[in-house]
Amino acid sequence: MSRAIAYDTGIDAIAEYLPARVATLKELAAAGLLGGSAATLASFGFETVHLAEEESNLDMAVAAVEKLFAENEIDRDEIGIVLYATALSSSSTMWNHEAKGSILELGDVADLFRYPASRLQSELQLTNASVIGVNQLGCASIFAALRLARAMIIAEDDLKAVLCVSADKFPPAHKRDLIYNVVSDGACAALVRRGAARNRIVECTHVTKGALWDSGSLENEILAAYFPTAKALIERTLDKAGLTIDDIALVIPHNVSLRSWQILGRLIGCPPEKVYTENISRVGHTIASDNLLNLRRATERGLVKRGDHLLLFTFGYGLNWACMVVEH
Amino acid sequence: MLITGATGAVGSELLRRLVARKGTTVNALVRRGSARKPDIPGILSDMAPVADLVIHEGDLRAGSALGLTESDVESLARNTTHILHCGGSTSFTLPLEEARALNVEGTRSVLDFARRCDNLRCAAFFSTVYVSGMRSGSFSEIDFADGGSGFVNTYEQSKAEMEDLLRDAMPELPVLLLRLSTVAGDSNTGAVRGFNAIHHAIRLVYNGLAPMIPGVADECVDIVSSDYVADAALHLVDHGATGVFHLASGAVASSSLEDLIGSTVDSLVRFRPAWRKRAIEKPLIVDLETYELFVRSVEEADNEVMRDATRSIRTFAYQLAHPKLFDTAKTARALAGSGLAPAPALEFYPRVVKYCLDSSWGMQQ
Repeated sequence: MSRAIAYDTGIDAIAEYLPARVATLKELAAAGLLGGSAATLASFGFETVHLAEEESNLDMAVAAVEKLFAENEIDRDEIGIVLYATALSSSSTMWNHEAKGSILELGDVADLFRYPASRLQSELQLTNASVIGVNQLGCASIFAALRLARAMIIAEDDLKAVLCVSADKFPPAHKRDLIYNVVSDGACAALVRRGAARNRIVECTHVTKGALWDSGSLENEILAAYFPTAKALIERTLDKAGLTIDDIALVIPHNVSLRSWQILGRLIGCPPEKVYTENISRVGHTIASDNLLNLRRATERGLVKRGDHLLLFTFGYGLNWACMVVEH
Repeated sequence: MLITGATGAVGSELLRRLVARKGTTVNALVRRGSARKPDIPGILSDMAPVADLVIHEGDLRAGSALGLTESDVESLARNTTHILHCGGSTSFTLPLEEARALNVEGTRSVLDFARRCDNLRCAAFFSTVYVSGMRSGSFSEIDFADGGSGFVNTYEQSKAEMEDLLRDAMPELPVLLLRLSTVAGDSNTGAVRGFNAIHHAIRLVYNGLAPMIPGVADECVDIVSSDYVADAALHLVDHGATGVFHLASGAVASSSLEDLIGSTVDSLVRFRPAWRKRAIEKPLIVDLETYELFVRSVEEADNEVMRDATRSIRTFAYQLAHPKLFDTAKTARALAGSGLAPAPALEFYPRVVKYCLDSSWGMQQ
């Protein structure tokens, strides 16, 4: 497959859904939803997060896709595949859908086969699309979906567009700070299209360190692995793209703490003003949706212009690091 | 011969060499009530000493009598021709007053004792090249202290203050001041008799808890083997050398920080093939400001394990952010013809890493 064709595929449209309910760190602490100190999390750049109430993870996914359709001229029939990406294991099933507050509780074995991806396809009448779940990559799941979408479009001549969706709802009663970030509920949807008018995917890379799979018992090792691996992957991605960090107009980050970006920015030689961090404080870490949400906001704010190279980077349990360069 | 600190990393190497000298009486001073006295038989367990070894329990902080009875100290002073003062603390984390009490006041006591020794030929004192503190650039054997740049830890400061005492004593006593760089282990076997900061750093890398180290990739890191230090020190003592000497790798035998970290990782993979499965990345070499930001984050997060790891790196690794080259020209001249020279760091360092692994950092000794 020629490079020219591969380069033609990109993220043509993005939409997100964030629940209306917003909680401050203080409110989360008062509700017993923080394990660590609110002051520390504030110093790491967090202020508020979005909390889903009645919305299920599927409701959020559907809402994000409906917004995508409403805002863009998209022929639903052109979508050949839906890649439904989830970070939380609970998000790829519809276990105990009716039992509010206990989504991890298995009611019936049959519940294990009730998939949100199929339901989404049905509700949105994406009748030409087959569905594929992408999971077990934590917050990097949407990157894997985007990468797969691009690869599939390149590989299959009759595939014009792939809908990538990500939605995660955190178990409501559980503490929302994980390794010094604060989790928001939310969803995003992106249309990856052949001949995209924007955000052409130049390069995407992904590293998995399975030895660090146990997020519960290996937190220190995970913390220590983060920066060296992140730096190495970003540099490898830039190298594969034939670019340097100086060629990047804006870094579109995950929202796993402002502090982590202050450090990583220094490691990769990227000045703070070239990392779009506005959303970290008010949105929090929406698990897998951060980067697309941030890309959309940065675009709306006029921070990127046509032809700019953007670097997207994220990190997910499992343990996964993912990076992507797009040309806006 | 009087030796203090005979159970330490350098003192034990010296002791092993001294007890192999026929016709010598070796007086080893250990702290009264210290748990270290029983270590001496262990230090000598694989050899048959031919010298007379007398172990004295005393106290370096007790003035010229060294905590001994007056009759004992008089007898000791009368018969002492050489003093090897290795005693004191090598801890980087003691409060300054405590470090001073051990390193400055202890040395003051030994100097006072030396003044009582009518037959004294050499009083050797062990210091550190890191009395240079946060200086950068070349540090020679005629330079003293930090030059106003400050110190990384209380060990460095107390040793610099110790050197002030020694400098004042040099006109009246045959003082030999030996500044050691980081003693890593035996160049042939890798054996480590005193685990220090560098061994702890190896353990942090092994455990995947050292994501970054402050420093400059291509600047020298000076580590030296314990056998070279002991052999060179005794050569200088035996030849009546006085003044300041650097027992360091210097420009010729040092490694760059990048190569040393690379050698650490390569050695861990080589000697523990299963370690590779843990997919631990090589620590990044970062500037001081980046490292400080990381340390601040760890401190604020109050993660006990990472906090302890970064704190332990901080106590020494800040030296790496102030790169310097220890001039060893004077030592090289003094050792000329002896066959003694520092082994290239990267040649013996892998054996030290292996020893750390095999002994579980001394836990299985």
